[in-house]
Amino acid sequence: MSDQVSHMPSPPSALSRLSGLATPGVTAVVLVTLLLFLPALLGGSWTFTLGLCFANSIGVLAVSLLVRYGGEVSIGHTFFTALGAYSVGVLDTRYGISLWASVPLALVLGVAFGLLFAWPSRNLHGIYLAVTTLALALAVPEMINNFDGLTGGYEGLYVATPFLPGVDMGAQRYYVALAMLVLVCFAVARLRLSRQGMALLLAKTHPAAADAFGTRRVWARISVMGISGGVGALCGATLAFSGSTVSPGGFTFWQAIFLLVGSVVSFYGLSLPRVLIGGAFVTLVPQLLSASGAWIPVLYGLALLGMILIGHYMPRIRKALNRNRETG
Amino acid sequence: MDQMTNALRGEGIALSFGGIKVLKGLDVDFRAGEITGLIGPNGAGKTSLFNCLTGAYSPQKGTISYAGQPLNGLPPAARAARGIVRSFQHVALCPDLTVRENVMMGLARTGTAGWLSAFLPLPRGRQERSDMARAADAALADLGLPDVGDRHPGELPPGMQRLVEIARAVVGKPSVLMLDEPAAGLNNAETQDLTAALRKLVSPDLVMVVVEHDMDLVMSICDRIYVLNFGEFVAVGSPAEVRSNPDVIRIYLGSDEDE
Amino acid sequence: MTVWDSLLYDLFPLIWSGMITGCLYALGALGLVMIFKCSKVVNFSHGNVAGLTAFLVYGLSSGVLMSLSWGAAVLVAMLAAVAIAFLIYSIISPVVFESDLTSTIATLGFGLIAQGVTLLMFGADIVALDLPIPRFAFSVLGLFVTGYDLTVLAVAIVTIGALFIVIDYTKLGIAFRAISENPFAAEVCGLNLRSVHYFAWITAAILGVIGALLIVPTTFLSVTTVATFMLQAFAAAVIGGFASLPGALVGGVLIGILMNLFTFYVSPEYSSTFLLGVILVALNIFPNGILQKVGGSRV
Ligand SMILES: Nc1ncnc2c1ncn2[C@@H]1O[C@H](COP(=O)(O)OP(=O)(O)OP(=O)(O)O)[C@@H](O)[C@H]1O
Ligand SMILES: [Mg+2]
Repeated sequence: MSDQVSHMPSPPSALSRLSGLATPGVTAVVLVTLLLFLPALLGGSWTFTLGLCFANSIGVLAVSLLVRYGGEVSIGHTFFTALGAYSVGVLDTRYGISLWASVPLALVLGVAFGLLFAWPSRNLHGIYLAVTTLALALAVPEMINNFDGLTGGYEGLYVATPFLPGVDMGAQRYYVALAMLVLVCFAVARLRLSRQGMALLLAKTHPAAADAFGTRRVWARISVMGISGGVGALCGATLAFSGSTVSPGGFTFWQAIFLLVGSVVSFYGLSLPRVLIGGAFVTLVPQLLSASGAWIPVLYGLALLGMILIGHYMPRIRKALNRNRETG
Repeated sequence: MDQMTNALRGEGIALSFGGIKVLKGLDVDFRAGEITGLIGPNGAGKTSLFNCLTGAYSPQKGTISYAGQPLNGLPPAARAARGIVRSFQHVALCPDLTVRENVMMGLARTGTAGWLSAFLPLPRGRQERSDMARAADAALADLGLPDVGDRHPGELPPGMQRLVEIARAVVGKPSVLMLDEPAAGLNNAETQDLTAALRKLVSPDLVMVVVEHDMDLVMSICDRIYVLNFGEFVAVGSPAEVRSNPDVIRIYLGSDEDE
Repeated sequence: MTVWDSLLYDLFPLIWSGMITGCLYALGALGLVMIFKCSKVVNFSHGNVAGLTAFLVYGLSSGVLMSLSWGAAVLVAMLAAVAIAFLIYSIISPVVFESDLTSTIATLGFGLIAQGVTLLMFGADIVALDLPIPRFAFSVLGLFVTGYDLTVLAVAIVTIGALFIVIDYTKLGIAFRAISENPFAAEVCGLNLRSVHYFAWITAAILGVIGALLIVPTTFLSVTTVATFMLQAFAAAVIGGFASLPGALVGGVLIGILMNLFTFYVSPEYSSTFLLGVILVALNIFPNGILQKVGGSRV
């Protein structure tokens, strides 16, 4: 199957099983504990940036989910992140409603629009779907600007209503993002064990076999889009709260590509450490290079290519090394 | 007469791809309680017939029914829901799932836990998973593969992968079981295990159809055999009848059979 | 009477100018389709690389880099485009034979790099880049026809004609068709996949440069102009079935006209949303492109 994106090295599950202690669960717990105490050591601006990292990690996860469970690539996930972000932004600035209500709304909208997009594109695969998502991404900034009565147009919205009244806002922006990321990662890990998740994986690799055992491939495609759209919207909601502003600049076509780059950089991983790598990449590269903006696309491009070539040559190199070890 | 009602029947099944007639109006009557063999040289149309019966292909002509109920127009998933299940000639296991999970997919259609249990650790979903896992382990053990549940299909030799594929088909207690070359790639011991397991499966309610090139296996387990050549049946009957049929002998001596 | 008037003064000119831009979309789409047909890769770097070369023409002819004549600048930019196409394909070719989706993502990487390089070399400013063509205009049958229109039409016809002749009659062109039909059989017959892929990538790059140079005079040149233009070319290719050269041509003209009509009669603010709708509808009604018959015995 030449149209599967499956050439990335799989997580070193055998290794981690061997070393017993470092199971994915334990790694995640250690990591989360570390992250819980990080703000105490870091300054406010770094705490803020890390919050954005967590939010972007959720977006990277949304893209990777589609790859892992659907075998499809999206270059249009800013549609879903925008949906989530504006749910939070609009409810906050227009109605003063906090995350309690806006996050569920974002989730529902994300899933609903994921399904809505999936239905007309249910028979598209590979590059055809990718180009369609691209059109989706292009339509986003235009829609935001045209609904400026609601979205504030170019100016955007400022999210200021606290999630927990009375708690320091800077801390909230950090911990809410962290909590969202951990929750989403946990839910996604559960999905892998569920009947639905397994059926999606089977439908991805062998649609005919899935069909023959009662999983319709159209169902699989639509479900995966719904899930990925929902997670994408949660990314947007978190971005809105942790980043405090929502404006069209955050949901450009390039941002959609950056999410994909993050996903590739994390080797389409779904675990907490992996998506954190992707999210950190998406967040930190522009920050570190903010003085010389032209280098940002170059660096993203090089990272994308580098990861793809590593993914391509790594198994070969590893095989060659193993062969050497066996003979030598 | 009970056996007759639970049969999988096809009448006048005709299938062509761009003018090439692959199946030329086949009548089949696969009865419950028996093992039916479907043999024929490469390219005869055996897999295509399976595909028509399971709904993967839609034949241009003909009717298909199970237990008197028409199946025409039903998608594969709907036929699976009626217990019509198959294995694939080219092993179609998911490399991302463990062997046990692959077999569990044979039970997917029976699952009832909803989406909430897919994302949250609710008792319903956990219960479902452990029930399915237990059934999968039992099916694997029946086929002589008790210890491979936690491995991934790619780590197993081809023969074992095929047995896993069969385990996935049988685990859901199907009412129609269609096996496409179940013994291809199996060694002698594995073929023995398979033969025993298939014999054990026979029950008055089960329609079992086996496409196979291993003549010893076919002749020893089948009650009735259909011989297909160029999309037409050249013989139908008991193993002894088929073995002595001059047309069948000609077909098999004429081509390089016996793999 | 008023209906006739509006037809005459709005609709026909809209269709005419839509057709002119459509020819340019078709040039872009043809390049995308050439690459896709033989190597199954969607080249997302097409627009940005063409944009970079348009900037090179500007830089070389305006004195920013050099003060060459327009023709010499175009020649150098063409060579650069060919070199870039060669480089890109060389780097991703091992991946191309493994996964078309992964190599498609890789072309996004090159697109980003080309955009960054453009920014680094020429900055984010908007510049003007005109064509050295005679300026005249006349009207026939109520249509206002400019020298630019005729130039575009002539160049498009010549380029596309040349392309089809090359594909139909030259050895490489025939190999290209064979490989697009059935890469495996063609390779068994001793055709070299890689050289045909290079042929497609390089031809596409040249088509891209021509398209970019022709589109720029209608607006101005910025980092994103050509990339945005190429997105319409994507839509054109999709509508044409992505694997059909005549389809790309028809798709390009169709997109040009449809976009023009939509902007004029409905709203200029929702053009991308409209494009999305067109793509979704087209892919559902004509999954294999508008020039292919619907049907066949798919399961
Ligand atoms: N999807 C398809 N499109 C075109 N032709 C097909 C298709 N599926 C099957 N065929 C053709 O139908 C004929 C019968 O194929 P089929 O796979 O049913 O044979 P078979 O009896 O299973 O052979 P084997 O023993 O090799 O598995 C072959 O000539 C094959 O090329
Ligand atoms: Mg077969």
